[in-house]
Amino acid sequence: MPTTQASRIALIGSPNSGKSLLFNRLTGLNQKVANFPGITVNIASGQSLDNKAVQYLDFPGVYSLQAISGEEKVAVEAFTSALQDNLLDAVVCVVDITRLEKGLIFALQVLETCHRHNIPVLIAANMLDVLDQHGMQFDCSGLSKALRVSVLPLSAKTGAGLEQVSQSLADATVPPEKFQSDIIASDDSVNHLHAQELAEKYGPKGDLLINTQTQLDSFFLHSWLGGLSFLAIMYLLFQSIFTWAAPAMDGVEASIQWLASVVLPLVPAGVASDFVSDALFGGLGAFLVFVPQIFVLTMVVGMLEDSGYLARAAVICHKPLRFFGLTGKSFIPMLSGVACAIPGIYAARTVESTRKRWLTYLAIPLMPCSARLPVYSLIIAAFIPAQKAMGGLIGWQGLAMFGIYLFGILCALLVTAVVSRSNAELRTDLPFVLEMPPYRLPSWRPLIINAWNRSKHFVTKAGKVIFAVTLVIWVLGYFPNYGASLGDSWLGTMGQWIEPIFAPFGLDWRYGVAILSSFLAREVFVGTLGTMFGIEGAEENFTSLAQQIQDSGLPLGAGAALLVFFAIALQCVSTLAVLQRETGSWRLPVQLFISYSIFAYTAALLVFHLVELLV
Amino acid sequence: MTLWDLTQGASAKVSRFKSSIESGYRTRLSELGFHPGEQIACVLSPSMGAPKLYRVNNTVYSLDDSIASLIEVA
Repeated sequence: MPTTQASRIALIGSPNSGKSLLFNRLTGLNQKVANFPGITVNIASGQSLDNKAVQYLDFPGVYSLQAISGEEKVAVEAFTSALQDNLLDAVVCVVDITRLEKGLIFALQVLETCHRHNIPVLIAANMLDVLDQHGMQFDCSGLSKALRVSVLPLSAKTGAGLEQVSQSLADATVPPEKFQSDIIASDDSVNHLHAQELAEKYGPKGDLLINTQTQLDSFFLHSWLGGLSFLAIMYLLFQSIFTWAAPAMDGVEASIQWLASVVLPLVPAGVASDFVSDALFGGLGAFLVFVPQIFVLTMVVGMLEDSGYLARAAVICHKPLRFFGLTGKSFIPMLSGVACAIPGIYAARTVESTRKRWLTYLAIPLMPCSARLPVYSLIIAAFIPAQKAMGGLIGWQGLAMFGIYLFGILCALLVTAVVSRSNAELRTDLPFVLEMPPYRLPSWRPLIINAWNRSKHFVTKAGKVIFAVTLVIWVLGYFPNYGASLGDSWLGTMGQWIEPIFAPFGLDWRYGVAILSSFLAREVFVGTLGTMFGIEGAEENFTSLAQQIQDSGLPLGAGAALLVFFAIALQCVSTLAVLQRETGSWRLPVQLFISYSIFAYTAALLVFHLVELLV
Repeated sequence: MTLWDLTQGASAKVSRFKSSIESGYRTRLSELGFHPGEQIACVLSPSMGAPKLYRVNNTVYSLDDSIASLIEVA
């Protein structure tokens, strides 16, 4: 294959074959590399580091060219249509040499397909470093002769053998036709018998499975030790989201305030100044403050993926989640959703089953995210006395907070349980077969670059939609009286129009306006309510606002209804925008927004009447 | 006896797939190494019905009861 002119080379291989790491090595692009099967969702491309004319394409990892899931089908079709349309000049089939038989079953399928399309193939025999560690070897030339294509031993981890990739590609040949009749057979059982025979003849001899993997699995999946370590790891994950990200979040906030103090004096007073201050710095500032949280969470989840632990967490959670129509792989996305739905939705990419991923998307917005926290704190402070019981061990306010968090999680599980049972297609899905990757120390550079890319994606893609909605809410709240009084603005008027909607659970128009504005972001509710009650800085000063709410004579039932409404309703433009980006359509976000609004409203109404009846 | 019945530390050879298994899953399991004649070891059987860990060649897979009980071993 000539590599002097522009050429496109596909990398294809099974999950965990080290394909993405090889791609990163060859291109220096640092596409996401994760130690969790099926992480590559999109086809990444990058120029070869040693020849700018060569472009590598990283196709999603698949176990077979005979797809059994929707996700695999997409990946396989992308590969075969690229072959059919003559978009590829060569194919590098990455095989894990330590698991040769499994790799060869797939490689034989690739060779057969590439023969039909007259495309040269190079077999990259990866994980040479593991063989070296065990002092083992494999018969590379024998395997190459048997397969009748070039086989290049290399290590994507250490970089050994990579310098020969260009030359090997230049020498790569189309798998010959004779080969097809010799070894390839359409019958799968014959195909794997050949793979077995080749692996036995040319593969490494001996036990390669690292004993420490079994020992660590015995610990991490132990009845109670496994459960304890799971809780400890999840505790650390939460600490990372709330504690480690906090200084950076404060930093972002302070930077925005500083920038506002520099820019605002330069802007002429009036509409322009108010716009820059409230919509630009206020609105966008509220959204940018979440970027450090997304960065830290992506880093920590990435570390768990890379270390191999995520696959074990999926095993632990599989049985309980299956009852609710989900899979063990839904756990991390849902857990991430407790911090913020946005990284949770991104994390759902690891759920390779399209249906289970769809169900996970239903659950994430109901998880009690951190933006709900200020709302919960305010309402609880207004209604629940700050008293403690059992000798100060239990605080009623804390108990109420725990209760509303639990309520959100139960709602999420209830929704997925009901939806999955209502649809036979959602019930019958891929069985749980998960490869347990070896434990390893995470590589920091790809993790940091991935977290950076994820944060950038959030700012650039979701940011556009968030800004558009911020603009609309700001215009509605500012005009026609130029920000003199929110109550008299168009938003205020709309709040009064919709008063009859919220009146059945005891809320007046001011709460209506606050709920409307909270569609921008839930925490805006507190600030808006503060404005409505004439309190500046309500976000930092709950006590006076809580007192005002108490004094306004809001019934307890209305407070409980507000809590339930906020626990369920999908008032978050950023979540809707990211859902649209991830699913490629507005259908699911719109469906979720409408159905959760109805669900929230009905549940709030029920709770209001129930509480009023009991109290 | 099915793969799911295999206790921790025990190993057996795959004899056949139950007829109720979908052909797509059967092919995939074969591709992963779970094909008739192959020796499979149950390396870990966590409590409370969690998916079990099975070793095939140098790879460990976690299978839940819904799929492991469709593979007959002897």
